[in-house]
Amino acid sequence: MNMLASYLTLAAVLFCIGLYGVITKRNAIIVLLSIELMLNAVNLNLVAFSKYGVHPSLTGQIFSLFTMTVAAAEAAVGVAILVAIYRNRASVNVDEFDELRR
Amino acid sequence: MIENIPILSFILLAPLVGALLVLLLPKQRSGWLRITALVFSLIPLALCLWLFASYQPGAGGTAFTEHYTWLSIPLNKDASQGIASMLLHFDYHLAVDGISLPMLLLTSIVSSMAAMASVHIRKRWKMYYVLFLLLETGMYGVFLARDLILFFIFFEITLIPMFFLIGIWGYFGREKAANRFLVYNGLGSAAMLLAFLILIATAGFTAAQAAGGYQLDFSGSYDVLLKNLSDPNAYANLDPAKTGDLGLHLSNNLKWGAFVLLLIAFGIKIPIFPFHTWMLRVHKEAPPSIVMIHSGVLLKMGVYGLIRFGAFLLPAQLHSWSTVLAVLGVINILYGAILACVQKEFKLVLAYSSVSHMGIVLLGIASLNEIGLQGAIYQSVSHGLISALLFLIVGSLYERTGTTELDDLGGLAKSVPFLSGILLTAGLASLGLPGLSGFVGEFLSFLGLFGSMKWLTAVGVLGILFAAVYVLRSVLGITFGPIQDRLTEIKDARFVEAVPMIALTALIILLGVYPSILTDLMQHGFTGLLEQFTQRAGG
Amino acid sequence: MTVFAEYAWLVPVFPVAAFAVLIAMGRGAGRPGAWIGTLATLLSLILSLCIAGERISGKAEDYSAHYHWLQVGNISLSAGYEVTNLTSLMLVIVTLVSFLVNLYSQGYMRDDDRMPTFFAYMGLFTGSMLGLVLADNLLTMYIFWELVGVCSFLLVGFWFHKPEAKAAAKKAFIVTRIGDLGLLIAILLLFWYMPNHALDFSTLHNVFATQSGVIATGITTWIALLIFLGAVGKSGQFPLHVWLPDAMEGPTPISALIHAATMVAAGVFLVARTFDIFQASPAAMHTVAIIGAFTAIFAATIGLAQNDIKRILAYSTISQLGYMMLALGVGSMPAAMFHLFTHAFFKALLFLGAGSIIHGVHTQDIREMGGLGRKMKTTAWTFGIGALALSGIPPFAGFWSKDAILTAALDKQPILFVVGAVAAFFTALYMARLFFLVFTGNPRNDSHAHESPAVMTIPLVVLAVLAVVAGFVQTPFNGWFAEWLTGDKAVEHGSGLVMVVSAAIGLLGVYLGWLIYAKGAIRRDVVSSRMPGLVKLLENKYYIDELYHLLFVKPLYALGKVLNAFDDYVVDGVVRLAGQSATGLGRLNARLQSGQVQAYTLTALIGLVILALAIAGRRFW
Repeated sequence: MNMLASYLTLAAVLFCIGLYGVITKRNAIIVLLSIELMLNAVNLNLVAFSKYGVHPSLTGQIFSLFTMTVAAAEAAVGVAILVAIYRNRASVNVDEFDELRR
Repeated sequence: MIENIPILSFILLAPLVGALLVLLLPKQRSGWLRITALVFSLIPLALCLWLFASYQPGAGGTAFTEHYTWLSIPLNKDASQGIASMLLHFDYHLAVDGISLPMLLLTSIVSSMAAMASVHIRKRWKMYYVLFLLLETGMYGVFLARDLILFFIFFEITLIPMFFLIGIWGYFGREKAANRFLVYNGLGSAAMLLAFLILIATAGFTAAQAAGGYQLDFSGSYDVLLKNLSDPNAYANLDPAKTGDLGLHLSNNLKWGAFVLLLIAFGIKIPIFPFHTWMLRVHKEAPPSIVMIHSGVLLKMGVYGLIRFGAFLLPAQLHSWSTVLAVLGVINILYGAILACVQKEFKLVLAYSSVSHMGIVLLGIASLNEIGLQGAIYQSVSHGLISALLFLIVGSLYERTGTTELDDLGGLAKSVPFLSGILLTAGLASLGLPGLSGFVGEFLSFLGLFGSMKWLTAVGVLGILFAAVYVLRSVLGITFGPIQDRLTEIKDARFVEAVPMIALTALIILLGVYPSILTDLMQHGFTGLLEQFTQRAGG
Repeated sequence: MTVFAEYAWLVPVFPVAAFAVLIAMGRGAGRPGAWIGTLATLLSLILSLCIAGERISGKAEDYSAHYHWLQVGNISLSAGYEVTNLTSLMLVIVTLVSFLVNLYSQGYMRDDDRMPTFFAYMGLFTGSMLGLVLADNLLTMYIFWELVGVCSFLLVGFWFHKPEAKAAAKKAFIVTRIGDLGLLIAILLLFWYMPNHALDFSTLHNVFATQSGVIATGITTWIALLIFLGAVGKSGQFPLHVWLPDAMEGPTPISALIHAATMVAAGVFLVARTFDIFQASPAAMHTVAIIGAFTAIFAATIGLAQNDIKRILAYSTISQLGYMMLALGVGSMPAAMFHLFTHAFFKALLFLGAGSIIHGVHTQDIREMGGLGRKMKTTAWTFGIGALALSGIPPFAGFWSKDAILTAALDKQPILFVVGAVAAFFTALYMARLFFLVFTGNPRNDSHAHESPAVMTIPLVVLAVLAVVAGFVQTPFNGWFAEWLTGDKAVEHGSGLVMVVSAAIGLLGVYLGWLIYAKGAIRRDVVSSRMPGLVKLLENKYYIDELYHLLFVKPLYALGKVLNAFDDYVVDGVVRLAGQSATGLGRLNARLQSGQVQAYTLTALIGLVILALAIAGRRFW
């Protein structure tokens, strides 16, 4: 069996779960977690391609390390923003935020 | 060794370094900020003067050129069409020649003077000077860049600082003016980008034989484009049988498309009627020190672009449209002049007079001969200096009287003789008095066009008459006549205001009395290019 | 031998240097500063006299030199100077009158706190005028031509706080600019039609006088007429004469220097300098003669009905310049230059005399003067000499030069001779009216008129002497002047008939004036009571100003207003419309923007799915 296909399928499933979470969950923290899930799906893809791709190379694995770093930074900033919002609004419910409209 | 100093990069980067330095200074110290900005505007001025002094006319400016690869992207290759490799690269390529050096000098002079004139700025100095210096970098970049993409980037860099400079520090209608500015110029930039992409994709490559087929090397290089477009057999080393239909041929229709797009892009900047309304608002609403730069340099970027890319890359198109261009020029001259005659606001008089003067530049370009082209550049430089001087005075007058409405001013020669004297001199220069720089540019432009289009020139010359009418009406309205009571107490120019005024006046007189100082320089930058130009326009 | 001619470039440099110094010093220069200007003019005068002396001695050749002004391709535009008999004559006229006026102004402008500025402007004017005279090519001449115009503008508007002075300065500049455009286009034409794009006078002479046919007759006529348009503007010829009387708002010494002796004569000088072009085109010559003759009589009639002493003299200047044009038009360049030469002295004399009177009585209306002959003796007799010279009474200078013109006219066009003779009669009449109303009879106001200081009367005396003797350089019995000027021996000698007629006409005019205004033998309202319409027409200068206002100024202003509305509502309106429709569309789309992040994400997802389907669909189609 083709190993690549199974990895990719797993990644796609992970990604879809993440996407579902991002779109449907009310709690902003869960939204952030779902985003992490999507990022990890991508990481999985990168690693899979670097091993089983047409031109296997280490670049993909190194890149996934980068992604993790960025994801960590993003999580930090995101949580910080959430804390700030919570202080102002006393809520982390995404439905109540329409700042983007203003 | 002095030859190894990257002087062009220094010119380009000095204001940028200045901007960084300004960012580090505390924001309340307006004096420090101003001096820093001034110093970092004077550095390029000194460098430009050095460039001017050491420019070797015979060498055609090749002595000053800097070339590094900036971005390099390998493209999808298609071996079936006999292409071994395709590479797209954008270069950091700076150079000066007889066309760009006068513009560089103009930029450095006007922006130093504008930096001095910024004493009238009353709020948020820090941000002002950062944007000001950024704008300067953009302008130098436009005149230095020899890569289409680099040119485009610098052209865009000037837009953003300008937008904020108008929108934050302007007069009452500043936000609308800033919006109008951005919309029009954005439109122009879009047209320019499209034209550039057409040119790069169809003619901006070199082809070399390599092991597995052709090696195509795409770039935005102006020199490559010029070479390919001016050489009728530019693609001769490509074998159509092998390469098939690559779409590499720049068809006549595409050439026309590129030309019209360029004309729109630079026509908005110049501005050509009917694209002039944005520029009126900027003249009226922007702070005077910024209008000095806007009217003095930014409009000239349009002229420069039209000559550099329109005239030299697509001369055949320009040739067949020379009458159109001349008619547009005459419309600009007369329309601007007649409207300037009836304005009630001094800044609007000056704005319409700019429309009129830029019409003369168009006539020079439309003449398609060396006299006219030199006239166009000379007129650009001279108009840049004159309108910078005029808006310098406007700034000082507004600070004292709080108005620029002609009805509210009068008799100022009594209370502020120095300012009035300079205003009168600038006005006379603007109406083309011989002995001042305005005359030389106008005369050369008319002289050039007269060789090909006599009647059109004769109609255009009428603009000089109207120029006398609107200049005298407005300038005498401000300085002559009985003085109003509330104006009797105002003080004449301070030292810091007088210095740039005297410097600009001196330059205007120098260029009027001894034009060779500039024409000899342009001459040598031109001739090589011009030979080709006439040859191809004829064929 | 050309010793001094090589230094001719210094002549204009002195006054211009004085200008630069005085402007740099500003008002601080004070009254001593004003002497800098006078001194500079004196230096120029001395050098000019040396140059002229050198040329009169007959040994010097024409001298010219030029500098590279700017280079375009292989065409070089140069700036240069040239010393010939004609230019050396003009040098002397300009520097002499300028020096005397400078001297006079030391007294006249004594109480003005902007005295240094006045002398600075005068220095710039003198320098520019000398540059104009010396120029060796048309372009250089055009440059100085404009500069004298601007100096005239600055000096007319010297008392800038007066609204009349402001209006007059503006008018002077704009109206003469119409003529300048003609000259500019003529230069453009010459540049493209002349072999090698040459613009210098010696090449012009070669091409037009000796190689006829190089330039087609039609083009030659165009060139000549356009040059003449420039001359018409500068010399105040009909129909561009309207600025000159208004220019009298300037200080009187300026009227004497610029608007009588030098700048207004530049038009005549220009035609004389390019005379070969005119001679190559009979049509242009006719035009010049007719415009000249018409202006001579037209302005003289207006002069009859004016009451402002300076305006009378201004119309007289226009009329006399018309004579010079007439002389040129009938082909006698020496006669024109001769009249220019004598006119410069006696008209400057008259203006300075008028200035002296105004200085004394503080009014310009001749109806308020009278009996001044007893109070201002020097002014009176010098003014009298000037008036006699202008009226063409022998043996004063004006007689000989006018005689030369009338002789030339009779040879070519007898009808123009008649016009000239009638104009001469009117000239004598209005000068007699002016003189007798001002200097004889009883004082008509109670001002304490007094004689002017010596610094003002000395120039009057010098000019009076010149107004007597200047005419003897060229009489029907002695053709020295014309011979020297043209280098041509065969100059026509006047007929006795013309001499007698012109002397008789002049005497008749003066006698009639004496009868009416001094003796009172004929009532003054003899004409006005019978033909009030005619007098009103003359008093209002044939309503030319009003006509121009109606014909040009108003329509231009109206056009400007219409275009302004067009610019605001149509050109800008289209842009506004485009902008607003985009905003409207945007507002419509903005409804989709709820501000809910998750809604956005969903939209993006749907978009992605559609895109994916579209790509997949394309593959399978």
